[in-house]
Amino acid sequence: MYSDQHLRVSDAERQAVSGQLAEHFAAGRLDQAEFDDRVGRAMSAKTRGDLRELFADLSETGAPAGPELPRGDGGTQGGGPHGPGSPIEFRLDAASGVPTYLQLVHQVEHALRLGYLTLGDQLPKVRDVVASLAINPNTVLKAYKELETKGLTAGRPGQGTFIQATLSQVALPELAGLRKALLGWLVAADGAGLDEDGMVALFTSALRDFHERRSGSRTRGGAASSETEGVA
Amino acid sequence: MNVVEASGLGKRYGGTWALRECTLAIPAGHVAALVGPNGAGKTTLLNLAVGLAAPSAGAVTVLGGRPAGSPAALDGIGFVAQDTPLYKNLSVADMLHVTRNLNRRFDQPYAQARLAELGIPLKRKAGKLSGGQQAQLALTLALARRPRLLVLDEPVAMLDPIARHDFMALVLTATVDDGVSVLLSSHVLTELERVADYLILLSRGRVQMAGEVDDLLASHRVLTGPAAEAGRYAERPVVHVRRGEAQAHLLVRAGPDDPVPPGWEAHPVGLEELALAYLREPGAAALPGPARGQALPLDTGEPSEVTR
Repeated sequence: MYSDQHLRVSDAERQAVSGQLAEHFAAGRLDQAEFDDRVGRAMSAKTRGDLRELFADLSETGAPAGPELPRGDGGTQGGGPHGPGSPIEFRLDAASGVPTYLQLVHQVEHALRLGYLTLGDQLPKVRDVVASLAINPNTVLKAYKELETKGLTAGRPGQGTFIQATLSQVALPELAGLRKALLGWLVAADGAGLDEDGMVALFTSALRDFHERRSGSRTRGGAASSETEGVA
Repeated sequence: MNVVEASGLGKRYGGTWALRECTLAIPAGHVAALVGPNGAGKTTLLNLAVGLAAPSAGAVTVLGGRPAGSPAALDGIGFVAQDTPLYKNLSVADMLHVTRNLNRRFDQPYAQARLAELGIPLKRKAGKLSGGQQAQLALTLALARRPRLLVLDEPVAMLDPIARHDFMALVLTATVDDGVSVLLSSHVLTELERVADYLILLSRGRVQMAGEVDDLLASHRVLTGPAAEAGRYAERPVVHVRRGEAQAHLLVRAGPDDPVPPGWEAHPVGLEELALAYLREPGAAALPGPARGQALPLDTGEPSEVTR
């Protein structure tokens, strides 16, 4: 994945990196001493890894992959132009009780449904996710494997993970019908004396039963998918 | 390869066993968390593994069979002790200098680059750095030895939330970049779920539970149902019972395919809930896979599960 870490760099690249550092300095991300220190290190850098380290705390997406080494989109938290990075940024909700890898899976699916991610887009690199969320790399790998199993993404060796399918939306008329049926159920529940919290509790419980029955039958049918492991 | 392997390991201080009959094998490629209450023997186990203490019983090897404390073992291990000890009166630059001279292998450019990224000034005295920076400095010095196994004793106990996050991010990035295996101890359970993928639960000087987090979570469930029937549920081992007048929660060893008794509801269990349940039942043990491909004697002298 970081095979170019030890590639030797040219003077042109060192110059370009200094220009990038100057931009960070101008934007106030580096103070004078840090800037001087980094330019000094850029000028004496031997490998691409050396140069990359100069930007590790400056840019969320971190390392440029291609030959145009200093990308310098300047974005620290998903801002700025994206270039070869990913259009999405993961977040975690520790209080949700949902396993971390499933949260990542859900966020990709959500982004696909809402159009933040489309065919050919790249998912954030494992290292970048690990660095920004401080989570175990195996968790990210598990999420990406799950997405691949679902046919939503494909890994390209040495490059990363890319979207290769969209999520089929339920057609609007069908959605309206389902909503109507649900409203009917709500009226019935209200008539029976159930308050809002009671309805949510009942729905959540039924949904969990449904989910477990479905994943249970899937697991018995063949090899356990990682989804069923996670919810178990 | 196992990064730490112990068999019948014990350590006695005077008449007290700080650790006893500890048998475990932690496979490489994990971030393994050593969890347990204060006084459970976490620090003792780590000190034995890195060779700072000699066992009173049994043996411990690291990194595929190297005896703990041997030069071959020391070369492959980076260790940050509790409270991140540094020479407080030395400048950061001098700490680097000292560490380089005390170690056979030390990657000076790596250490300098990391410190510059972290914004830690080389001229400042180590004792004048913030707590987070001191921890980062100690970690950087350990990583600059380019270890295969990084051992951290309560690394984030004293740090504020941001410093914790940044510290763990540095540790975890090292696992991606260099393939370092990590063994860390902690009594902060909540944050481990994100970080660790292997868990060792120590209680009263013994290993109570060990295995990959995913396996442990998949092999346990919480059953909720009428308290009156709680005693009758005996199909699978019950680890822990919480009982009210009408309702009871049973933490049981059961997979997703195991049948749920009629009238009962099954929930998946989180790492914190699981660890707490075991810690409250010192007699219970779950050792599903401490060793890869070898049988281990589990003669803890107690039943492997407890039914109440």
